[in-house]
Amino acid sequence: MNWVELSYLLPLIVIGSGAVILMLLSPIEKISMERFSLLTFIFIFVALLCDLYYFGVLYTSFPLKHIFSKMLISDSYSVYFDALLLSGALVTILVGMHYFQTKRKFKKEFFSLFLFSVFGMMLLVHANELLTAFIALEIASLSLYVMVGFQKYDTRRVEASYQYLVLGSLSGVFFLLGSALIYAGVGTTILGDIGKEVDMLMGKDISLVVIGGTFLLVTFLFKISAFPFQNWTIDVYDGAPLPVTAFMAATFKVAIFGFILRIMLVDLDPIREIWDELFFVIITATLLYGSFLAVIQRSLKRMLAASSIVHTGYILIAFVSIGVVGESASSSVIYYLVAYFLSSMGAFGLISYITADDHVRVTYEDFRGFAHVHPYMAAMLSIFMLSLAGLPGTIGFVGKFYIFTGAIEAGNTILAVFGVTATFISIYYYFKLIALMYFYPTAEMEDIPPLKGIAPLVIGFIAFAVIWGGIGNTFVAYFPGIDFLIDTARLSYMSLFIK
Amino acid sequence: MMDIGILSIIIFLPMVVALILLLTPINQNGTRNMAFIVSVIIFCLALFIYTNFQLTGTIQLREFHPWIKAYGINYSLGIDGFSLIVLMLIATLIPSAYLLLWNNNRPKNYWISMLFIQSGISGTLFSLDLILFYFFWEAMLLPVFMIIGLFGSGNRVYSTLKVTIYTIMGSLFMFVSILYLGVAFYYEFGSWSFELSDLVQITTISHGHRVLLFLGFMLAFSIKIPLFPFHTWLLETYSNSPTGGVFLLSSIMAKLGAYALVRFMIPLFPDIFVELSSVFVGLGIFGLVYFGIAAISQHNIKKMFAYSSASHLGFITAGIFSLNVHGMMGSAFLIVAHAMATGGLFLLVGVLERNLGIRSIDGMGGIAAKAPLFTVFFGIMVLCTVGIPGTNGFVAELLIVLGLFKYNAFAGILSALTVLVAASYMFWLFQKAILANSENDVSAMVDLDWKEVLGLLPLSLLIIAMGIYPDLFLYKIEPTIQHYLMEILHVGAKV
Repeated sequence: MNWVELSYLLPLIVIGSGAVILMLLSPIEKISMERFSLLTFIFIFVALLCDLYYFGVLYTSFPLKHIFSKMLISDSYSVYFDALLLSGALVTILVGMHYFQTKRKFKKEFFSLFLFSVFGMMLLVHANELLTAFIALEIASLSLYVMVGFQKYDTRRVEASYQYLVLGSLSGVFFLLGSALIYAGVGTTILGDIGKEVDMLMGKDISLVVIGGTFLLVTFLFKISAFPFQNWTIDVYDGAPLPVTAFMAATFKVAIFGFILRIMLVDLDPIREIWDELFFVIITATLLYGSFLAVIQRSLKRMLAASSIVHTGYILIAFVSIGVVGESASSSVIYYLVAYFLSSMGAFGLISYITADDHVRVTYEDFRGFAHVHPYMAAMLSIFMLSLAGLPGTIGFVGKFYIFTGAIEAGNTILAVFGVTATFISIYYYFKLIALMYFYPTAEMEDIPPLKGIAPLVIGFIAFAVIWGGIGNTFVAYFPGIDFLIDTARLSYMSLFIK
Repeated sequence: MMDIGILSIIIFLPMVVALILLLTPINQNGTRNMAFIVSVIIFCLALFIYTNFQLTGTIQLREFHPWIKAYGINYSLGIDGFSLIVLMLIATLIPSAYLLLWNNNRPKNYWISMLFIQSGISGTLFSLDLILFYFFWEAMLLPVFMIIGLFGSGNRVYSTLKVTIYTIMGSLFMFVSILYLGVAFYYEFGSWSFELSDLVQITTISHGHRVLLFLGFMLAFSIKIPLFPFHTWLLETYSNSPTGGVFLLSSIMAKLGAYALVRFMIPLFPDIFVELSSVFVGLGIFGLVYFGIAAISQHNIKKMFAYSSASHLGFITAGIFSLNVHGMMGSAFLIVAHAMATGGLFLLVGVLERNLGIRSIDGMGGIAAKAPLFTVFFGIMVLCTVGIPGTNGFVAELLIVLGLFKYNAFAGILSALTVLVAASYMFWLFQKAILANSENDVSAMVDLDWKEVLGLLPLSLLIIAMGIYPDLFLYKIEPTIQHYLMEILHVGAKV
């Protein structure tokens, strides 16, 4: 047994076994919900610690090759994405704890499912083979389908769950077909080997790989809710319990991009240009249609769901730039994922914390005069809105800076202009919330409820990270700033190319 | 090693104080007093800079720290003669404004917003790195958004959303232009930089693209100034803003647009600047006439001043694009003169509103008898706005008209004639609202107290001093203007 190699997989093992243990423990009545969420927290925390041990180290390896062959990979890239996914899960649990405890309908199995979905996402990032990736994708998706519809007596949730299940499974089928076609074309499903085969086939007929790759892209575009596969997003995000929405929005996209970047950067690199025109159309439509959807929403949750479509569009801008400027574009994808992850996690988490107290606060109107009742929460929510809008001083600005710089660097200035247009429209729907919170008196002047639990602290910490990510610099020594984030993102990119 | 320069102190002192005030339970008057003390400290620092400023056309008091190393973005500050003038202007105006806002009984957040805006303004003024400049340019917006939304009147939420979205639209296109320049620099020289002095060396961008980039920047500045046809936010915003907000918008932030025009457009795009000068002289003069005529028809003082202010800014823009020493010096001078006069007028209108409520011009009259001191100061500001000899407004307008004559005789004639328009509405207003006796009840009007007089006195003295002996101030800025014209644009000659 090679202990070093095993330690590479330790985060996966901890989360996987945690999920099984929680499942086995769930029928025991004696253990309270509080204990369960605490246990979940501990599993994730331990996994994160194991993961951070290798953070910032440049390496690549196929752990336990005698068992898994080349199906699993562990490199700086997967470490980076694992860290993102695990911190996302951690924040979801911390912020959602209050929600889970007040909404009594939650059952203990929820936490097991939650860990399974984290496990699936992490496995996706580690996957080095198409079928492994499919299995990972389905583990993550199936758990999410159930989590979305977890309160079975609420028809909205069930509807969302079914919509997600049916459409998600359909898109999964495309992945399988795509894998099969690629196998037919190159005779292997292992990443890296596909790349070598494609290189050798250059100049010959590679239409099977192209069609297969396109089918894979369909699945990805569906999962990240890009145009024209965005229709499910708003209903599902709206129907899901808020912490689940937060988790889906912030982390699932990270995992999907984790895999799509890996396959696109290395294996399909020689033929990627084929899809450039397609992406141009997709990006423009995603940005503009997403903005349109966001502008017309009355519910805050639906607006955030629609705006997540727009943010997908921004990330895709960097994604098409990868062909020309691989390093800076892919690290800008990664940086933007971090930026979006923090801002949306903060926003959704905060809203879920508020709705735990009273059910109504989900439309814009419910936030009228909110700042006079909860000044602290309103300030935090404003910070997240500003970051989502990309105002200077927040991490969202730096994220957009990289995306647009990368696009111009790659000669796609016109895409940057579209991105800027979407940003400008987004000012409307994000600032509307700030205006409503601050500029109107409250409808009903209630007593200011005290802040309870750990959630306000966590939210405050995220808000600090959002600001720090926007202005943090080298003035303060020994404290990771923007440069640190860029450097580690580049490091993880470099590890993809270690032969 | 952290060494903090004097420019950094000017930028961050208000911000830090504002943050401390925000987090401590200090009351409304305490906040106001602290804000005033901060503004006086900054005035002293600015005075110190002014006396030690060397008369060369170069950039002084450089401060430089790497910020985001991966993309060569630096915290890079410095001032030249032009920014020095604007700095002195801000440093003098803000304490005066605080004294006039003293009795307005505004809550704590009002003063905190004002402090934040002051930080943003100074940051914009000193930035030599374009990303840093953009950072402050946008950061300035948020407190403005808050101050109008929280303390404005009328349809304040609509106004504040409109002006914010409008301004951000412009700045986002400037943002793309900045990024494009950065990328072009990277491709030409192999390293990242957004430093102004680096970006001017770019030679690879084609002429057509340079025009587009120029227009990207100009969109942001034209909205801020505002130039015709980007002025549609102006009227509502000015009439619905609280006094402090409209004061900052009209007398300082609008001038920053004109300032940025000189600071960034001339070095970055000298050829395009010359090429398109006729367009912008035309737009400027058109704005001068158009807004002047629009001002005549207004019956609300704030709206009239809004148009009057836009009209003068059109004049300033025309002067900047006139490509000669007279025009540019005149513009720099008018930036100062107009900021003082308009700032003073908006603050005095604030006093009017506090005493009488919001009224149309027809609803006033007979104020001179109730408030003689008020009338004197109002009169000085009106004379300066109109450009009567003996005020700095006259010197400025004369120089610009001269410059425009040199540029094109028709432009000169048109602008000289339009000065009369300002005289017509300003004197009508002064006569009707302040001097003339009327049936209206203005008994609630209270004359200025000593604090307000103390605030207005320096402005009025400066207006007259600069009008009588302009050289006292012109000599500080002339080397910088010469530098811009001779060394960068290669046009014009010595005076």
